[in-house]
Amino acid sequence: MRARCIRAVARKEMIHLLRDPRSLALAFLIPLLLVLLFGYALSLDVEELAAAVVDRDCSPESRDLIRRIDASRAFAVRAELETDTALSRAIDAGRVSVGWVVPAGWGAALRAGRPAPLQVLIDGSDPNTGSQARAFAAALIERLNAERRGGRHAGVPPAVEARIRIWFNENLESRTFIVPGILAVILMIAGALLASTAIAREAESGTLETLRMLPLTAGELTAGKALPYVAVAWIDVLAAAVLAWGVFGIAPRAGIAGFLLASFLYILVAVGTGLLLSALAGSQLVATQLAILATYLPSLLLSDFVFPRQNMPSALQALSALVPATYFIDLLNGFYLRGIPASGLWPSFLVLFGMAVALAAGCVWAVRREGF
Amino acid sequence: MAEAVAVRGLSKRFGRFTAVDGIDLTVQEGEIFGFLGPNGAGKSTTIRMLCGILKPSGGCGRVAGLDLFRDAERIKRRIGYLSQQFSLYDDLTPYENLRLFLGIYRVAPSLWAERIEEAVASVGLRPDLHRIVRGLPPGARQRLALACALLHRPRLLFLDEPTSGVDPLARRAFWEFIGGLTRQGISAFVSTHHLEEADRCGRVALMHEGRIVACGPPRRLVAEVLPERPEAGLEDAFAILLRGRAA
Ligand SMILES: Nc1ncnc2c1ncn2[C@@H]1O[C@H](COP(=O)(O)OP(=O)(O)OP(=O)(O)O)[C@@H](O)[C@H]1O
Ligand SMILES: [Mg+2]
Repeated sequence: MRARCIRAVARKEMIHLLRDPRSLALAFLIPLLLVLLFGYALSLDVEELAAAVVDRDCSPESRDLIRRIDASRAFAVRAELETDTALSRAIDAGRVSVGWVVPAGWGAALRAGRPAPLQVLIDGSDPNTGSQARAFAAALIERLNAERRGGRHAGVPPAVEARIRIWFNENLESRTFIVPGILAVILMIAGALLASTAIAREAESGTLETLRMLPLTAGELTAGKALPYVAVAWIDVLAAAVLAWGVFGIAPRAGIAGFLLASFLYILVAVGTGLLLSALAGSQLVATQLAILATYLPSLLLSDFVFPRQNMPSALQALSALVPATYFIDLLNGFYLRGIPASGLWPSFLVLFGMAVALAAGCVWAVRREGF
Repeated sequence: MAEAVAVRGLSKRFGRFTAVDGIDLTVQEGEIFGFLGPNGAGKSTTIRMLCGILKPSGGCGRVAGLDLFRDAERIKRRIGYLSQQFSLYDDLTPYENLRLFLGIYRVAPSLWAERIEEAVASVGLRPDLHRIVRGLPPGARQRLALACALLHRPRLLFLDEPTSGVDPLARRAFWEFIGGLTRQGISAFVSTHHLEEADRCGRVALMHEGRIVACGPPRRLVAEVLPERPEAGLEDAFAILLRGRAA
């Protein structure tokens, strides 16, 4: 691998990209698209969601809980109801979107240090609100537990358990946050689609023969071709991350380094997929269509983004394990939502790294087959 | 005189089809070697093998002093090749095309200006250096392709049908240019369909169905095939040679 050869190829590839309006739009309209999607996903910040409570306990503890719910920014207690059916009716009618049910004996159980389950019903018909309500409910109970543990040593199992049920849209469970999924799908499509014409275009126009006569190895050609697309996708990721942080105040909770590494590996996989298809397809049209087929639907439907993996039939679960977006979404959820440090997510890193290496090898093999 | 090309028994099979069937060829240094033959004869396939692009199925030989089988990569550094469609990047300017070649030939950037100047001056491309290739007339494109092939100062040039689709005036200029190169000791291996161009070659080879049917200086070939007709041209001689093969 000689740097000067790679640089020469990368530079001319970049010029192609910059002079082709279609590629340019695909490359740089994406951040804009991301902004819109981010904006849509995040501007609907939940505040003062109408809540109803059914207090069958009426202990000091249960009254304290209800005060906490009402005092939180996310919820406002609008009604105290007597029965579960009344609560169901209130949610069905859309009068409240969250219901808390405190069972009899809850306070006593807490005092005795026994598990004290609590039921939370959430209206999931708007997945965005529903998922945020769920996160806020979980956080509220988490805080309560932390306070109660107080002086005692850590490791005591949480006393209050929230049995959260989401109505109307059970799938919401894993859609806690849609932004990682959107980022994963868009990056994959853009990276693969941009790169998918890179080799097929030259095969069609005859310039591949021009490259064949040059002292250029398959590895150098592959690297030179991949570089500009990786750079462009990288700019997209950074733009998306900066916007998420600057405009919406969302930043990875566990360090930026892990996020950058995960994005880099994922971009390599996306661009590698496009290049491989480009070398195998022989025509731009076929390559582009294959790239859409290979990235769009799998990333959307098989990646844990729209449908939770654990609910899939085992055959689809196996397929889902082959989809790069599955691992990227896992990593992003880890960094952005759960605040897990990179070291805790190494299995997904390892899989993405393995995929990137395999695709790079596949590309070099396919380019060599073209006569390099 | 040293040999620029010397191969024996060179062959190429695509699956069960034999495109080039054990040919022997030699090209001297500073020679213009004409490579003639009907469509599908195997001319392009032969040239691509000699350039190190296509791996031969059999045979042995040397090109530009290097072993054809072991040194394909280094052969590419010593030769220039103009493919049949002489394809350049038409969304790039001539300057950007030249720069790509210089980068891949790993010419030091400090020499780029001088090399581009030299190549462009030799083919007379000057005013169009920064216009997108797509908008250039075919003649200018061909000059650019030639400039690209000469950038790294090769001693041996392979040209696959360089004059197809070029007007007679430009063709004439092209052959004069090639003549000038060979006077500097550069060899040119040129395939063509235009038989009248064969007269500009020191020697020609006629290829048919993967084999070399005849090889030698054009005048002598005619004299050998048609000794009783001194006024006959290469066309008559080839017609007889090819008919003989078909029978
Ligand atoms: N990559 C390939 N795979 C299979 N067959 C091939 C391949 N390349 C060339 N051929 C076949 O080999 C034969 C010789 O082709 P070649 O291009 O060398 O002919 P040519 O003499 O250059 O013809 P033309 O004057 O039309 O350029 C043709 O029948 C062609 O179909
Ligand atoms: Mg040909």
